[in-house]
Amino acid sequence: MEVVRVERLGKTYPGGTKALEDVSFSIEKGEIFCLLGRNGAGKTTLLRILATQLKPSAGRASVLGHDVLAEPQAIRPHIAVVPQEARPQMLLSPYDHILYFCLIRGQSRAQARERTKKVMEDLGLWEHRDKLASDLSGGLRQRLIIAMAMVADPEVLFLDEPTIGLDPLGRRSVWHMLRELTRKGATILLTTHYLDEAEILADHLLIVDKGRTAFLGTVEEAKGDTGLGMRVIVEPAAGNGSAPPEVLEPRSAEEILAIVERGLREKRKITFKPASLEDAFIKIVGGSIEVEDT
Amino acid sequence: MLLVVISLFSFLPVIFIFVFADQKSAMQSLVGAIVLTFSFTGLFASQSVYFNKQWFRFQDMLVASKVSPASYAVGLSISGLVVALPGVSVALVLLLLSGPTTALGVLLLLTTSLLLWIGLVFVGFAIGATTKNARRANSIPQVLSIALGFLPPVYYPLDRLPAIAQPIAMLIPTTHAAQLAKYYFHLIDIPASQVAIGWGYLLGFAALMGFIASRRAHWVDP
Repeated sequence: MEVVRVERLGKTYPGGTKALEDVSFSIEKGEIFCLLGRNGAGKTTLLRILATQLKPSAGRASVLGHDVLAEPQAIRPHIAVVPQEARPQMLLSPYDHILYFCLIRGQSRAQARERTKKVMEDLGLWEHRDKLASDLSGGLRQRLIIAMAMVADPEVLFLDEPTIGLDPLGRRSVWHMLRELTRKGATILLTTHYLDEAEILADHLLIVDKGRTAFLGTVEEAKGDTGLGMRVIVEPAAGNGSAPPEVLEPRSAEEILAIVERGLREKRKITFKPASLEDAFIKIVGGSIEVEDT
Repeated sequence: MLLVVISLFSFLPVIFIFVFADQKSAMQSLVGAIVLTFSFTGLFASQSVYFNKQWFRFQDMLVASKVSPASYAVGLSISGLVVALPGVSVALVLLLLSGPTTALGVLLLLTTSLLLWIGLVFVGFAIGATTKNARRANSIPQVLSIALGFLPPVYYPLDRLPAIAQPIAMLIPTTHAAQLAKYYFHLIDIPASQVAIGWGYLLGFAALMGFIASRRAHWVDP
């Protein structure tokens, strides 16, 4: 079942800045869909349009079968958003933040208390429930914002760089939580700059560059499409230590053999590494970086 | 609790006027303080609008929920007013104890203040929605509160101003609200035409600011 559908979406801000152009994709129920791109590529614009916070200027987008422009009221009760750089109110406790968001979402007081406890326990916030938000670490504050979005038990969750500022364990607990949500049927769209995060989480990913689709597919397809099955790093020969290592991308067994033979002949250290999403990302958007630099 | 204490600040000048002037002047300043408490809570809605949208980003979280823009705006505005009510209640009790007044007088004082509050809530929304940094979000309402509250004849009578400054003072909405409130408490006497102009000005101000706020403050960004 298709939960999000985007057709030739475009956005030009009132000042004339073109943020998105001709972007199309769809997201199936229960998927984690990652939006990747450099700063200013249009990720947040796209997420905000789908979360009914920003009007598109071209194309169409629908969430749960409802058009974001024509029927936002039909979408909003079923979604939740974790905005980029959201912060809790410093003089409120985590418990109060979450409880108030439960009440805002239309839950009764009893339901709200029960839900607040459940979400706080799930996210490891219960022991911090009565502290002031100002006394929480950056990671706990971010977890609190995520918890505020989670209270709604949304069918579609939009997260804009949700793990920024979290320590490795905090990130993993968020990943686990997101997987749990999708297991229950939720659909997740998230933007991130952490490519390892996208590699682990994404069922599908969209790489946007200067507002346009640079890649759409799975992580494996991203690596495959760019010819990156493997990377070979050939260290400089002895006595030439200041030279940078060669990074090669062989595409056939013959090419690999040739590199190995050369390494043995020149007595150079050779390391084989599987290509990462980061390699693919740099390959995909790298062209535009070079064009910008010239 | 802290906010309730802060809301009492607009009553501080009343103490000085009570100490250094006569009782009638103190009464006028007490009425002015009530008017200003309402106007400040309206104006300072700009900070809540800015911080909820740009700093905490709660507005984005609320847009993606069942909350309607009208209920958000009303809730945000009234929350400031609720915090100010203890101070207003104390001032009203003092006024009632200080001299004879009618229920109609109290009602008209509150109506005038509420009408001014509505206009300034709209000003607050227009400022808060267009401000892009926290420093301005904090400083603009503070500067405006001096221009609207402490300079015009709100705590003190209009006739204390030089004749040349009086028409300028009449351009400021808080002057009209204070004049009407003092009139309904029988503290000053003004002609019926000026009463009508006062109400007309406050209604027009609220309508104009409502129009501007509706163009500036967006639930869904354009």
